[in-house]
Amino acid sequence: MSEGAAVSPADIVREAASLRRSLEAGFREEVVTSLYGEVERITRRAVRDAGAQPLELDQRIDRIVTSRALGLPLMLAILAVVFWLTIVGANVPSQMLATALFWVEDLGAGAFDGFGAPWWLTGFVWHGVFRGLAWVVSVMLPPMAIFFPLFTILEDLGYLPRVAFNLDFLFKRAGAHGKQALTMAMGFGCNAAGVIATRVIDSPRERLVAILTNNFVPCNGRFPTLIMLATVFVAAAFPPAVASLVAAGSVVAIVLVGVLFTLVVSWALSRTILQGEASAFTLELPPYRRPGVLRILYTSLIDRTLFVLWRAILTAAPAGAVIWILGNIVVGGESLATHVSQALDPLGRAIGLDGVILLAYIIAIPANEIVVPTMLMVYMAEGMMTDLQGFDALRGLLVGEHGWTLLTAANLMLFSLLHNPCATTIITIYKETLSAKWASIGALMPLGLAFLVTFLTATFARAFLGY
Amino acid sequence: MSVAWVILLLVLLIAGLAPEVGVLARWRRRQVALGREQAENALKHLLSQASAGHAASLSSLQGALRAGDRTLLALTERLEREGLIRTEGTEFRLTSEGERVALQVVRAHRLWELYLADELGVPVGQVHAKAERAEHQLSPADVDRLSAAMGHPDIDPHGDPIPGRDGAVVMPDRTPLSAWPVGAPGQIVHLEDEPPLAYAQLAALGLRLGQVVHIVDATATRIGLSDGENEYVLAPMLAGNVHVVAAAGVAAPAEPVLRLSDLPAGSLAEVVALDPGLRGFMRRRLLDLGFTPGARIRPDLTTFSGDPRAYRLRGTTIALRRDQSDRVLVRAVA
Repeated sequence: MSEGAAVSPADIVREAASLRRSLEAGFREEVVTSLYGEVERITRRAVRDAGAQPLELDQRIDRIVTSRALGLPLMLAILAVVFWLTIVGANVPSQMLATALFWVEDLGAGAFDGFGAPWWLTGFVWHGVFRGLAWVVSVMLPPMAIFFPLFTILEDLGYLPRVAFNLDFLFKRAGAHGKQALTMAMGFGCNAAGVIATRVIDSPRERLVAILTNNFVPCNGRFPTLIMLATVFVAAAFPPAVASLVAAGSVVAIVLVGVLFTLVVSWALSRTILQGEASAFTLELPPYRRPGVLRILYTSLIDRTLFVLWRAILTAAPAGAVIWILGNIVVGGESLATHVSQALDPLGRAIGLDGVILLAYIIAIPANEIVVPTMLMVYMAEGMMTDLQGFDALRGLLVGEHGWTLLTAANLMLFSLLHNPCATTIITIYKETLSAKWASIGALMPLGLAFLVTFLTATFARAFLGY
Repeated sequence: MSVAWVILLLVLLIAGLAPEVGVLARWRRRQVALGREQAENALKHLLSQASAGHAASLSSLQGALRAGDRTLLALTERLEREGLIRTEGTEFRLTSEGERVALQVVRAHRLWELYLADELGVPVGQVHAKAERAEHQLSPADVDRLSAAMGHPDIDPHGDPIPGRDGAVVMPDRTPLSAWPVGAPGQIVHLEDEPPLAYAQLAALGLRLGQVVHIVDATATRIGLSDGENEYVLAPMLAGNVHVVAAAGVAAPAEPVLRLSDLPAGSLAEVVALDPGLRGFMRRRLLDLGFTPGARIRPDLTTFSGDPRAYRLRGTTIALRRDQSDRVLVRAVA
């Protein structure tokens, strides 16, 4: 209508640009201050305080969980209880799941044989792909279904931010963020979930540090290997009365070694490729809340467990196929698996392991759960992943027939702790950083470190301890 | 010939000639990038010479670019052909188009410095070297996005003006410390970052933007400064790299102001201001959490190591590390 209405967007932009220059430097502060002022005015009118009772209780709890005397012990005790519940609680369901799934495998293989399918088809589909899947699901699902809800309860209660608060002094020295303690705790369940959990860290540099080092906390997929080694090798050297304590102690020790590596590598990263000061550390300590059951079940089972399980299944099926092919294609009287492991043997020996172990780790890149069954398959020259009942039989096979020593066991524990993350985690690092560079660093840096550390321990043990 | 040789040859060919990822393509890209870097550095040098009132010569270019005669001749010929510079005898001058391009490089440089310092927390002493590389890699669209993301800032972390998208530079009115009257309070608004060695010296002394200083004594060989707490001594040459403006209304605060980190446990206080040196991401974060002037705050929890400490603010508990609570100024409230 009037000429004044004909203001084009370009005019507005120009006007804004010229006005911008006249703004005072602190205008943003004034905006925020006035917003807060307005909020205060509204809350004074509309919100009535129901009494400060709950706050006092909160403060009393806070004084205890952050106290000098009780803070750290309480945290370690809670962590130990969560581990214990996970390991003990997962045992029986794991067995049941394995029995059920392997029963399905037999059924399926029988049905294929009934149709007259060729042996290699039956083997590939049922003893390869399906067996790989079944193994990963039965080892992985029960611990995750227990660990994640427990973890979510702690999260929901409001306890986890206090852990970050307590441990920040360690991470600060490493140039990292206290919230990295939370992502590490999540990593005990699954490193891929731990990498996703780094979203809570709001400064990009510290978040990358947390992503790249999450692998140094052993996940549920690696715990069975560590526990087996601790039981068969370390604990066996002690009288039965204390054996289980020694086994638990050595698992805790290896976890602490992992924490140490996390801090050292974080420190090194923030002085080399991720330079910079530890930037904004702000941590809100929310009031304690009663956990909501439905919410816990939803976030822990749907968001975390099923998500991780699905990705693991996607990678475990092809791994099962590869294992079966390696175990069943015979060239010159030996299976491909044997050939490959012989080729890898010199490298394996150099770091105190052997070719079979390296082969198992290469095949197990998709999912660490299958390291031990693959190793046993090659050692026993079977055509499919295998389990051995009883630790004595295991000891007989590994020590008696394949020359394992305490050095092999110790280095395997170190290698398992430090080596490259599984394919799921690498893909997750890629998705979270959208960078092939960080994904490759996240994969290769731990691998290089694993080789270096095991090589050093092997050389040391051979030079000074006579292995 | 065996099949293996053919395959090997094929693989080598593909690795060499593949578009985008092949060795040849990479090499060519690198040459283009190097060419751009050299051209832009030459234009920047001409711009800085022009603003200092000199013209650039082949020898001054040689000093700035550290390149051989033949390279420089080819470079200047190319720039002249592209209409960015013109030759007057043995001197080079920027054309208006050349000046526009050079200002865009300066704009990219200073925006990147600001981004590194304010948003990523890179120490100010390190941002210049990093920006020297990044300035040649950013596209004009990247630079515009960077500027918009930071709210179109006009001052870089050293106090230099950031040219606008149209090349407009608002030169702030400021005086070098070497020409500042003795005794008058001046606020530091610029610390020259070229040459890096001189800047490192200023930074090592502990001078920083926003600081209010006055000259205690000035002789031909030394200038003595004080900010009320510390004394600084600089060579007059170095003092020319520091610019100040009259410090307006910076009278001592009426009530004693202390740092949040020094506030004794359990005592109530009121936020007065955030340290002006706290900028970018960290400043926004604290503001968003409610550390605004007038807000009531009380230390609540301390970890066994004493750092971080948690504070009660606006009905929430927020933990801060010492290096951040150092930069929140508070006043005790009875």
